[in-house]
Amino acid sequence: MSGSQAVLELDRVEYSYRRNTALRGVSLQLKPGEVVAVTGASGCGKSTLLHCAAGILTPDAGTIQVDGQDVAALREEERARLRRTKVGIVLQFGQLVPDLPLIDNVALPLLLDGHERGEAHLSAMNWLEQVGIADDADAVPTELSGGQTQRAAVARALVTGPSVVLADEPTGSLDSQGGQELLDVLLQAARYRGAALLMVTHDNLVASSADREIRLRDGLIQHEVSL
Amino acid sequence: MATAELVLGLLSGGPAHGYDVKRGHDAWFPDSRPLAFGQVYTTLGRLERDGLVEVVDKTSGGGPDRTVYALTSKGRDHLTDWLNDPVPPAWGSADEVLRKLVAAVRTGGDAAGFLARQRANHLRRIRELRETPADDDPTSPLVREYIVAHLDADLRWLDTALDRISEQRGTRS
Repeated sequence: MSGSQAVLELDRVEYSYRRNTALRGVSLQLKPGEVVAVTGASGCGKSTLLHCAAGILTPDAGTIQVDGQDVAALREEERARLRRTKVGIVLQFGQLVPDLPLIDNVALPLLLDGHERGEAHLSAMNWLEQVGIADDADAVPTELSGGQTQRAAVARALVTGPSVVLADEPTGSLDSQGGQELLDVLLQAARYRGAALLMVTHDNLVASSADREIRLRDGLIQHEVSL
Repeated sequence: MATAELVLGLLSGGPAHGYDVKRGHDAWFPDSRPLAFGQVYTTLGRLERDGLVEVVDKTSGGGPDRTVYALTSKGRDHLTDWLNDPVPPAWGSADEVLRKLVAAVRTGGDAAGFLARQRANHLRRIRELRETPADDDPTSPLVREYIVAHLDADLRWLDTALDRISEQRGTRS
């Protein structure tokens, strides 16, 4: 697949922590609107893969392209802007700003990108509605359940209209029912936006909702299957 | 139970007579019920009729006849197809998955490829069950949840098996 067709393309990405090699040359592509689950045992490199794709970690070798742009070739501020506008991230515990009302949490990526406050709040409100928690717009994260804060994290990931949403164990902090509901919200939100979704998960029920499963083992792709 | 295909697998290493086939089966599956002699000979007869095995030697040296069977090329193709095909996920399907896995490992088949395809089959079935619309029947969600829980348990075992196969492959290479 060429880079122009893929919204996210990793080519032979390698990454090592001090004495531990986490990725040994992983390549993958995500097409627009595609849902891909990355699975594997703890320590197989799946979260490292997501953090490299998100630009949180810089690979030791290999290339990452988002919407056809080579991330490594960009200047730091261009890279940060690409991360803010083209890539949405949902982490296991939401990682919302604790003292900020949900509407401000969700509007934050737009405000950082220079959008006018009223416009950013309107978009944030639309997304809070889309994920079913518009009534909680004024609440701060500490007043809400894990499921509600994860829904807000989904809204925040999608508010900038990203091409790619990266989710690291998005249901990992929730019980079975809450996880199921959050997964439905995440899938619907990504489909509504037309974004590709890359989910790192150890949960087979989450993996079953993907179009494709990529299983890692010891930093390498063990297998890749269409679902 | 896929006794016929297991018999083909047991013959894939070379010609054998019924007694060897029975002993081979019981060595492959030491924790399951031994294969009855009657079942071995009935199965071999059926496989011969279908052209999947052939008699390559028949000796009677004073004692009872010893018929030696061998795989035909049709039988080898049938075995390869069986080893490659994932099992439709259903109640009790894990037994069949285990039989195929053991046969694939023992005959040098693509055990990892089979497990990956089986994993995909299980995940697809879970998705189908999760996407089944709710109805008024009070027992159908119970049944669906039961099946999903069992498929999920199978998947965890498939993951362990995949890792073990990869480790064994790594150790051998």
